[in-house]
Amino acid sequence: MDEWKPNPAVKPHKKRSWYLAWKYKLMNQRALRKLCQTGAVLFLLVTVIVNIKLILDTRRAAYEEEEESAQDYDDEMLNVEVPRHPVNNKKVLDVEVYSSRSKVYVAVDGTTVLEDEAREQGRGIHVIVLNQATGHVMAKRVFDTYSPHEDEAMVLFLNMVARGRILIFTIKDEGSFHLKETAKNVLKSLGSQVAPFLSWRDMWTFVGKKGGEVYGEKHAKSPALSTWGDPVLLKTEVHLTSVEDAECHWPDTELNRRRKRFCSKVEGYGSVCSCKDPTPIEFNPDPLKDNRVFDVPVAVIAGNRPNYLYRMLRSLLSAQGVNPQMIMVFIDGYYEEPMDVVELFGLSGIQHTPISIKNARVSQHYKASLTATFNLFPDAKFAVVLEEDLDISVDFFSFLSQSIHLLEEDESLYCISAWNDQGYEHTAEDPSLLYRVETMPGLGWVLRKSLYKDELEPKWPTPEKLWDWDMWMRMPEQRKGRECIIPDISRSYHFGIVGLNMNGYFHEAYFKKHKFNTVPNVQLKNVESLRKDNYETEIHRLLGEAEVLDHSKNPCEDSFVPDTEGRVYVMFIRMEQEADFTTWTQLAKCLHIWDLDVRGNHKGLWRLFRKKNHFLVVGVPASPYSSKKPSSVTPIYMEPPAKEEGAVAVPAVAAAEQT
Amino acid sequence: MQKINRNVVLALLSLTSLVFLLFQLCYYKFYLSQKNGAAFSKGRGSQSGQDSTRWHVVRKFLGLISSHNIPVYLIDPLILGLVDKDIEQIRSSPDGPSPECKYFCAPRDFTTFALLDKTWKHEVGLFRTAEKMGFQWLKIINKDPRLDGMDDLSGMEIPLHYIFKLASHAIHLVVFYERSGNFLWHGPLRLRQHMDRKFVPFRKLHFGRYPGAYEKPELLLVSIDDLKVQIPKNPSSFLEEVSHSRFLECRYREARAFFQLYPDDASLDAVEFRKKAKSLLHLAALTLNNLGVKFWLSSGTCLGWYRQCNVIPHSKDVDLGIFIRDYKADIIPAFQKAGLPLKHKFGKVEDSLELSFQGEDDVKLDIFFFYEEDDHIWNGGTQAKSGKKFKYLFPKFTLCWTEFVELKVHVPCETLQYVEANYGPEWKVPVKTWDWKSSPSNVQDNGVWPVDEWDEVIQIY
Repeated sequence: MDEWKPNPAVKPHKKRSWYLAWKYKLMNQRALRKLCQTGAVLFLLVTVIVNIKLILDTRRAAYEEEEESAQDYDDEMLNVEVPRHPVNNKKVLDVEVYSSRSKVYVAVDGTTVLEDEAREQGRGIHVIVLNQATGHVMAKRVFDTYSPHEDEAMVLFLNMVARGRILIFTIKDEGSFHLKETAKNVLKSLGSQVAPFLSWRDMWTFVGKKGGEVYGEKHAKSPALSTWGDPVLLKTEVHLTSVEDAECHWPDTELNRRRKRFCSKVEGYGSVCSCKDPTPIEFNPDPLKDNRVFDVPVAVIAGNRPNYLYRMLRSLLSAQGVNPQMIMVFIDGYYEEPMDVVELFGLSGIQHTPISIKNARVSQHYKASLTATFNLFPDAKFAVVLEEDLDISVDFFSFLSQSIHLLEEDESLYCISAWNDQGYEHTAEDPSLLYRVETMPGLGWVLRKSLYKDELEPKWPTPEKLWDWDMWMRMPEQRKGRECIIPDISRSYHFGIVGLNMNGYFHEAYFKKHKFNTVPNVQLKNVESLRKDNYETEIHRLLGEAEVLDHSKNPCEDSFVPDTEGRVYVMFIRMEQEADFTTWTQLAKCLHIWDLDVRGNHKGLWRLFRKKNHFLVVGVPASPYSSKKPSSVTPIYMEPPAKEEGAVAVPAVAAAEQT
Repeated sequence: MQKINRNVVLALLSLTSLVFLLFQLCYYKFYLSQKNGAAFSKGRGSQSGQDSTRWHVVRKFLGLISSHNIPVYLIDPLILGLVDKDIEQIRSSPDGPSPECKYFCAPRDFTTFALLDKTWKHEVGLFRTAEKMGFQWLKIINKDPRLDGMDDLSGMEIPLHYIFKLASHAIHLVVFYERSGNFLWHGPLRLRQHMDRKFVPFRKLHFGRYPGAYEKPELLLVSIDDLKVQIPKNPSSFLEEVSHSRFLECRYREARAFFQLYPDDASLDAVEFRKKAKSLLHLAALTLNNLGVKFWLSSGTCLGWYRQCNVIPHSKDVDLGIFIRDYKADIIPAFQKAGLPLKHKFGKVEDSLELSFQGEDDVKLDIFFFYEEDDHIWNGGTQAKSGKKFKYLFPKFTLCWTEFVELKVHVPCETLQYVEANYGPEWKVPVKTWDWKSSPSNVQDNGVWPVDEWDEVIQIY
């Protein structure tokens, strides 16, 4: 702005005269005056133009900025906000319930929430739980009360449902044959008039509030043993309560917010949702000193068995040394409820679009989960692999922390597993003892990343191969003679009864009596002796001190092993070559251990406990330990049962064993 | 009187326009300052042109994160640029009080920090405290790319960026994730529809326009402007990384579609070849990275990445590209030392250079050198028996990072043009028989080597 200042060279008192002189000069010089005038006009014009331009410029700049930032930083998938369920201001729900021989359905406000007309399926009492404030379906169950024990499960479930929930019952086909008094009484206490008198092939529908009013009940009696009751259709109205009434008033914490979200969506998880003194969802087990598996990711492989997953995660999060941040739950399919369970515990869940069917689907899910685990934790050298139907022992991580260095250092190892296939109540004894076995037990195990990335992942069975992943992993092409480390007493417990390869009978026979460690902080005693060469020394030492049992007795009899404690005994069975397991299988059968295939062997040697004595079984002559057999002893040979006769003989032994 | 009137009018008008001009100046100044966020009071700055707001906001932010034990480090390119100049001095006096505010007082809209995801638990408490301290915050989440792969997985969305704003200054916190391939990755910053587009001037953020890939930095705790912060130990190499950090994700969705059409070869041979190709690529990357030679996936290997996110099992070799300006004479001895003998060498540094190394069991490593022209880039080929020269033309391209077989490697950012130049528009269809002299769609005859040069330009071992 200097140019508008008066000329500094001129002295102040002369200023005015100078100005006047200048003005006079100008006035007198016409041409100059004109020039000045045009100059002023031009100057005016320029300012106007500059002004306009500036305004336009700034406008445009501002506009462009908005525009560009919008383009660059917009989410490409301009995700259209899916409108949430319209807030239901209606206070009344229309409920329709249908019961018949071949079809059941339930519709709430015109939306079908249950429809089952599949043949040979869905027999029994269908139960649906609705939220009394929102009308959302919180649980759907079917109890085949035609079969035994299902009514007990139903009673258990109904007891877990919170007071105030709306319960809808309907029978498909038959639901009364094994519906016992207790169950009938529970139904009666819910307000059912008919339940106590339900009989063979009756049709029945019932809608009521737990601990409150009855909204409707219909029943059709079966006229004769050979026919079913007429189809029943119940239409009724249910009055909704306010959201506040339907919720518990837990203190407002992060944990309780998770709990609230969970409890308003699903039912059937018992005390986790009880208003008074709910069961904790954070466990804070003691940390482990010198925990070497703190940074090992834990992949939980899950399907759609949310109740199992709930039980599993509870036990996992209660195990000492657990690191919840490393837990990833992989759900095979876009199921909501398992995800709700995962979120309840504040864990990370990942859903996987199912590929293929049956065993191949499971196998593909395993592959996707393992790949993702190592992607998410690129630093990890190992991953712990768990399934949703396992209980995890309190010292699971302590067990792994003490043994994981072996997997890192010993190339001859394939895995560390928490499961001993032969570790039943009557055959496992020592929580501090570990074995090396040639089979891969699974059910809670540690996988080395290099094994997965370099060997397994590239040739994992493709979706069209209907193979079990675990069977595939046990094949010699994959295992290549490597062994797994297992504990004598399992650190996991397989509680799943429903599953792809599982049913109640199978579970009862092979899993129910499995021993499970409940002692915390077990100090493992022979970790270093599990290295490849050390283990041989250890076995030779054991065989050296072992007492040879009386081979003239029947090995299935209890008296085969003397009534002692803490001794080491050895027996020799016939095993012509490496793959000859004839006698072993018979022995396993009569000892009530795993006999469906050969598990738990190490170079023709099995180690287990009988009557609290360490009990070694050596296969002669295939096993390299055959040399320990005194020449006077003839290895025991047990014949496989001929199709019919044997079938009688073996259970006889079995019965003797059990008593 | 009239004349005087006219003069008075003119003078008045001039005065008005003067006022206008002044107004413009003010307006312009105001507008600029608004853009730079310097409209804030500068009263407390010890020197003119300094903005103590920024310093205060950064100090508050550092207090916030240290109270939650969250290790962040400074990655602001502008500050690191300044720090780099005085790095010796800063290193030598880690605790010394600084006489003036040199780094955190330049008026800027934001300061950028980085956070390693695995070093903190996603606590809600942090944001509560931040709010109590007066920060406004914005979280940008998106899907987790580590779940992308040949399997269709979806998990919870992960936080990619946080922005904490206090007064006129914002802290941009970039979340880095570890990826397989032993590198760090940060995501792009994309706003969802409902988000406040004016929260900060997003366009000016240094991180977030594209996803980026970085080496894991070594950190150094320093005290600058009396604030204790972690910075990358070597700011200049970090700044170098920033400028070439753009990351491309493999196109897994398209790869899945490809395998639907052309099921993958699951034969034992294919599995074996992939394994060998992977380990050869790992070895080559290690060797070239040690030499500091920049390379990228070329030809069939690039096609494999782009089309199927994997090695093409019938391709039988691994192809890499290197700009001739990055050529070093050490390349051949380095590979030989790594156990990869030279198989043949065609051309010379000035023209059509091509090296080929023998990997394990017939798997070959081909290195093509690329020559840059004004409007295109080319590499050469030589037919050994006839001495014929070929030229393969490519449109100009820049290099991006990607993750391939658990390796952080370069690919041309403009991959589609690159692949199309090489394989034509039908590149999506697998071809088992490929003649490098005639099949490529960008091949040109380029004369014949003079016979007297053959000994130099055609070396076969």
